[in-house]
Amino acid sequence: MEQNSLLTYLILIPLIGSFLILFIKNDQPNLIRYAAVGISTIAFLLSLVIYFQFDSANSDFQFINKIEWIKGLNIHYHVGIDGMSLLLVLLTTFLTPLTLISSWSGIESKVKEFTFFFLMLEVGMLGVFISLDLFLFYIFWEAMLIPMYFIIGIWGGKERVYAAIKFFIYTMFGSLLMLVAIVWLAVYAIGPLGYFTTNLIELYSVAPQIPMNIQIWMFLAFAFSFAIKVPLFPLHTWLPDAHVQAPTAGSVILAGVLLKMGTYGLLRFNLPLFPEASIAAAPYISVLAVIGIIYGALVAMVQTDVKKLVAYSSVSHLGFVVLGIFAMTQESIQGAVIQMVNHGLSTGALFLLVGVIYERTHTREIADYGGIAKIVPVFSFAFMFASLSSVGLPGLNGFVGEFLILLGSFQSPILNSWWYTVFASSGVIFAAVYLLWMYQRVVFGPVTNQKLVGLKDMNAREIFVLAPIFIFIVWIGIYPGTFLKVSDRSTAKVVKQMYNPVKVSPVELGLNQYLSK
Amino acid sequence: MRELIYLTVVLPFVGFLINGIFGSKIKNEKLIGAIGSGVIGISFVIALGAFIETLGLPVEQRQKIVTLFSWMSVGNLDVSFSYQVDQLSLVMSLIVTGVGFLIHVYSIGYMHGDKSFWRFFTYLNLFIFAMMNLILADNFVLLFLGWEGVGLCSYLLIGFWYDRKFEKSTTSDAAKKAFVVNRIGDFGFLLGMFLIYMTFGSLNFNEVFSRAVSFDVSTATFGFIAIFLFIGATGKSAQIPLFVWLPDAMAGPTPVSALIHAATMVTAGVYMVARTSIIFASAPDILMVVAIIGALTAFFAATIGIVQNDIKKVLAYSTVSQLGYMFLAMGVGAFSAGIFHVMTHAFFKALLFLGAGSVIHAMHHEQDIQKYGGLKKYMPRTYLTFLVAALAISGIPPLSGFFSKDEILWYSYANGNLFFWILGAGTAMMTAFYMFRLYILTFEGTSRFGHDKHPHESPAVMTIPLIVLAVFAAIGGFIGIPEVFSGEHGNQFHNFLAPLFKDADRKLATYNMHSHFEEILLMVLSVAFAIGAIMFARYVYLKKPSIASNTAQKFKGLYNLLWNKYFVDEAYDTAVVNPILQTSRSFLWKIADNKIIDGVVNGTAKIIDVISINIRKLQTGVAQFYALVMMLGIVAAFFWIILSL
Amino acid sequence: MFNNAQEFFNVLPIIIIGTGIVISLLIEMYSKKSDFLLPWFSVFMFLAAGLHSLYYVGDVSIVLQNMLATGGNVNVFHAIFTLGAAVVTLLSIDYIKKYGAYFGEYYIILQTSVLGMMLMAAAKDLFVIFLGLEIMSVSFYILAGMNRKKLNANEASLKYFLLGAFATGFIVYGIALIYGSAHTTSIDFITANFSELIKNLLFIAGVLLFLIGFSFKIAAFPFHMWVPDVYEGSPTTVAALFSTGGKAAAFSAILATLFALFNGPAGNLFTPYLAVISVLSMFYGSIVAIAQDNIKRMLAYSSISHAGYLAIGLAAGNHDAIAGIVFYLAAYTFMNLAAFGIVSLIEGKNETNLSINSYAGLGSRKPLLAALLAIIMFSLAGIPPFAGFFGKYYIFIAAIKSNLTWLALLGVLSSAISVYFYLRIVVLMYFKPSENDFAIETNNNAMIAIIFSVLLVILLGIFPGTLIDLVTRFI
Repeated sequence: MEQNSLLTYLILIPLIGSFLILFIKNDQPNLIRYAAVGISTIAFLLSLVIYFQFDSANSDFQFINKIEWIKGLNIHYHVGIDGMSLLLVLLTTFLTPLTLISSWSGIESKVKEFTFFFLMLEVGMLGVFISLDLFLFYIFWEAMLIPMYFIIGIWGGKERVYAAIKFFIYTMFGSLLMLVAIVWLAVYAIGPLGYFTTNLIELYSVAPQIPMNIQIWMFLAFAFSFAIKVPLFPLHTWLPDAHVQAPTAGSVILAGVLLKMGTYGLLRFNLPLFPEASIAAAPYISVLAVIGIIYGALVAMVQTDVKKLVAYSSVSHLGFVVLGIFAMTQESIQGAVIQMVNHGLSTGALFLLVGVIYERTHTREIADYGGIAKIVPVFSFAFMFASLSSVGLPGLNGFVGEFLILLGSFQSPILNSWWYTVFASSGVIFAAVYLLWMYQRVVFGPVTNQKLVGLKDMNAREIFVLAPIFIFIVWIGIYPGTFLKVSDRSTAKVVKQMYNPVKVSPVELGLNQYLSK
Repeated sequence: MRELIYLTVVLPFVGFLINGIFGSKIKNEKLIGAIGSGVIGISFVIALGAFIETLGLPVEQRQKIVTLFSWMSVGNLDVSFSYQVDQLSLVMSLIVTGVGFLIHVYSIGYMHGDKSFWRFFTYLNLFIFAMMNLILADNFVLLFLGWEGVGLCSYLLIGFWYDRKFEKSTTSDAAKKAFVVNRIGDFGFLLGMFLIYMTFGSLNFNEVFSRAVSFDVSTATFGFIAIFLFIGATGKSAQIPLFVWLPDAMAGPTPVSALIHAATMVTAGVYMVARTSIIFASAPDILMVVAIIGALTAFFAATIGIVQNDIKKVLAYSTVSQLGYMFLAMGVGAFSAGIFHVMTHAFFKALLFLGAGSVIHAMHHEQDIQKYGGLKKYMPRTYLTFLVAALAISGIPPLSGFFSKDEILWYSYANGNLFFWILGAGTAMMTAFYMFRLYILTFEGTSRFGHDKHPHESPAVMTIPLIVLAVFAAIGGFIGIPEVFSGEHGNQFHNFLAPLFKDADRKLATYNMHSHFEEILLMVLSVAFAIGAIMFARYVYLKKPSIASNTAQKFKGLYNLLWNKYFVDEAYDTAVVNPILQTSRSFLWKIADNKIIDGVVNGTAKIIDVISINIRKLQTGVAQFYALVMMLGIVAAFFWIILSL
Repeated sequence: MFNNAQEFFNVLPIIIIGTGIVISLLIEMYSKKSDFLLPWFSVFMFLAAGLHSLYYVGDVSIVLQNMLATGGNVNVFHAIFTLGAAVVTLLSIDYIKKYGAYFGEYYIILQTSVLGMMLMAAAKDLFVIFLGLEIMSVSFYILAGMNRKKLNANEASLKYFLLGAFATGFIVYGIALIYGSAHTTSIDFITANFSELIKNLLFIAGVLLFLIGFSFKIAAFPFHMWVPDVYEGSPTTVAALFSTGGKAAAFSAILATLFALFNGPAGNLFTPYLAVISVLSMFYGSIVAIAQDNIKRMLAYSSISHAGYLAIGLAAGNHDAIAGIVFYLAAYTFMNLAAFGIVSLIEGKNETNLSINSYAGLGSRKPLLAALLAIIMFSLAGIPPFAGFFGKYYIFIAAIKSNLTWLALLGVLSSAISVYFYLRIVVLMYFKPSENDFAIETNNNAMIAIIFSVLLVILLGIFPGTLIDLVTRFI
């Protein structure tokens, strides 16, 4: 097949860039920063090129680049993207430079190391989204832990060490189970294919025929690893610590992209590889997702630390995404995909804003704020805007995702019950409560804390970082077609795979009903 | 003009952008006000043009859809930013843009000198934008966009003076309360949409409504859809049980109360029920629920209104009560009557609020009517216009309120039953009473305010809107003269809207078999009640003020009950709000998350640590012991092998 | 002796080392500058042997009357030993200076031990294995106590000797029983008739004793007890050799002798035994390592758990297992050499800084050293893209292929645990400030050795294919 090395370049740019940066002298932090921003911007531009060359009418993987890597095990360096991955690739390349700019003044010490790890992180994230070989995927998936571990551990807050280790081992634990499942799957493929392979595209055809009793275990191993990353209740406790301790840039990328790797994994691997098991497990996972939505919201509501509040809100928001994925209708999965992007933008923006104010006041306690609307109007507006998008106000991005997810899950023949949606929708109420309440306590009311008087409003750089994010928040809210179109075919393909189960499945009746619509 | 209807949406948005972006730079209030009001004025002209044009068209051509661009298109779902011109949306847009325009103009005077004058107009424009989306939408999702949008604006405007105290708490508390309570309603609305989509495979009005007729759908399903949608309506239109936010909403500037919390936004629920009349008509039981909720809301709100002393509070409860009327109308299938009352109510209630605003303005933000009195000589225009409004809402013929209210009363009897009529008439009586209590305590009698206050008539920019509204409040009713008077032409307003409700009417099969005699009898009765109530109010509050206090003393319990609004807020706090907060804080977070879940995680690590520390003790350093262990291992191995042979 | 030049050429690596020892003796005796000459000579020699065996890896042959095999995995092992030894030598040059007195014999004994390893790997006959084993072990006993003045060094040496002899005893018994039942010590014969012989109880007992003996050498539970004490007591560079060359040699012998185990069901009889010791070793190692605060002991326990992972391969007993084990050993050798090398630099003059807390703040004090150690730690923890990960991956493939998925699962569980103590070093180096600023003297020789090893670890991690292909070609 014809090769296209654009994606390879996309990875190589930050990879090589990060090493080049090591050669810059430590005493020129700004040069380092400019270099890092420049490199990641180039990567972003390249990803735009890819976007414009992408054929969204085609549901297959595109920009495939396949190079033999480990002959003995038939492992290839095999990358390619479809609509779903493209959106997340764009999200990654889009957020990385912005985040780097945002950390301009936030990161004072060890700038070189920071940018190095940060670009490494980008490499890992991109790799995860474009790998079409399970082995390659796993390499990126794991390797990505190292830079994040350092970013939290070196530039983090007081409890950073605990948070970093917790993050690392928690995630590692899940992924190791996935590793076993990957090998198991590859070994299993020897049966039908006659050779050991981790090639995703080949496994797509093989895996669904795995008998249920084995399939379910493989499914669980994958799901477990992804569920930790998402994080799905009750595997979420690493998240608040990691978020609160990580430096702003870390939190942004963590919320913006890393969490999506979990949901992406579910969508890319669990559903198509193990349709039968997915359908069987859908109700249980959806229940967890719904619990997560409400639980996350309720816990967020009573937080006293802004960052922790946003962190728990992520648990709630990602619950929607998981629900959407396992509702397995075109609407809900499209909603899930767009919601991944949305959450990246909205929560990313929120973390950036928290960072902005934290840099000035060095406190994240809600109680220490109040009445800053007068003092920092621009910030207050931006904060309101981001909060509203996170609340899911129609006209902003959040609504599109949540609406599609709920709309889809409501009539999902797989879940086959209103209750999931009914409870999930209550999350919409709680979201309003915890975000507006937080906003009110931080921004409105009379000025109580005298330290806040004379606070500086957002500077040009900070505005420059947020502006593009806000543009997309509105864009997706008003004209999501641009983005829905990209992933439409590939999600449709997933759904189709789900609704042609290999064997007769308990809910097949419901499925046919759905198809006949 | 009809195809330009989208401008009525776009223009306010443009105004919003201009004032929002440059407002803080523009120092000139006049300019900001001009921009703010101007865009609404033009929108009104367009709407009017479209209306006139529509009148010229034959009935079957009166509906038109103007599509801007596609919004969401996934699976079967395909909704766009497309606006529909038809009788109902036109009436509503005339009300919104018309009254809206007047209130904008009024605000120029009212908000004069406020430090964030520009922000006020920005929000107002945004509100009109959202409201126009709500009423012009041709699909549920776009309607919902407007629906949430007005909620947001209401949130922003209630909390406009975010650093001020309001009653026990702050304005921003009131704002949050409004938004959250509305969200509870929206929750229902969302579910309604999902079920509609599931049932009819679309969310566009035309498809859904035609399929609602053609598809064979169980009454139960219709019932669920209807109840879900109605939950949404109760939130937005402050009906039992979700009315609690509206009185607090008075924390906002008075023009806001007039525009959003009286004339337009709160009637959105009514509009939505009317719009989906066919669905409600297909679920008669739910329609009955609507009627009951409406009647009860009307009645109880009125009772509360009797004892309140804050001028805006009284008006707020009167609004809730009037909205109850409208739902009563919907509930008994008198859809056009309901809309008719929406219109007249918009006139006289907006007028009342603006009048109140003018008074508050004159009294330096004193809102307690006990500290007013004898204001009529200080502010004649305000006084006159207020009187007109008061008469109108009390249903004194031939003012607008009379026609709309009586139509509702009549249908509540004709299509409903006597019980509804009694509640309605009782409400009408109380309304007349507390309105005139308010009027008298404010304008009549001797002034009860200190000499520090120097009441004065408001500037023309505020009084002219009052006068215009007064005119409409007076004559606005004539377009809906019941056929009992108008004879063969029938009720103009009714006929105009009829085509929209014909399916619903057919389903309900409500041709009233009652004689004109009954109708006139009831009419006379209710008017008599109203006049009686007014006289009584005059007697109590002008002649013998002692009576009021004595009765208050005599029925202390009842008085407290009413004074404290039946303790509904308190009940909600103790029953819902606090429990949720408490469990979340002291259980979910502190225990479930930190202790249990994280406990397991960290516990595992702990356990491994402990094991490790204990096992390492095996490492004694004594070679003999090592040898022993090896031996044991060997023995074990041999046993294993031997056994497995 | 040799049938032709080719055969001679094929065993050249062994011969190089052998003659090298003699030459070294002469240098030691007659040269004034032997303290300079000897180390560099042996490095040169090791490299020569190593490169030769790598370069002629294809020359598979059996020489010296079916005594030795050459080519293929044998050469790979030889490369591992010799290159590893070269690294150790480089590390030692400055290290052993600090014992005040200079021990020329150190290098010579180092060479002899390597010779022993090479014989074990190349053996085609049980006697040769025994020969090699003894040469290696005896050298080790001496090396362990090389620092005469140090008390716990002597203790270590003695313990090692006692227990080692104990274990060797079993191996001899095993060989004897095998001989008794097979009437030959030729490994080929045994392999060929394995499925016959296995019916014979004596043979089984023999093989089992043989395995047990080697379980000691590879430091598998419950024959691991000596490891922490010996590693702690003996010179760090020597410990490096024990944990790498020694282990590798032992495995090479097992692979060579019990190749039959890896040829189908015949060997399944021993699978339970191997599986059990592997599980116990993995968990014991990983768990107990957590409680260690002496880095050498920590590495000792880590080497126990790695023995466990390797034993998974033995239990799996298929061709992938062989490839996996060889790769794992290669990776592990250089990981550990680098790790011990760094330890040898940090520990200081009189080994005062062996506590892991000495590593606090290393990230800012010695960035390069810290970075190298961090890479090693991640690799030991089995995190991609480093060699350690791929080794595990391959072993797991082998295990799952022979339906030992549960074993693989336990494997990942224990490595999840092990992550904790490997990370702790990284935490100390980067997230904690240094406590006492003792002097850290690095030296070029050691740095070269360490960097070389780390580069290998990275390369093997990212391009494992080359080595894998090499290994798989000859199975």
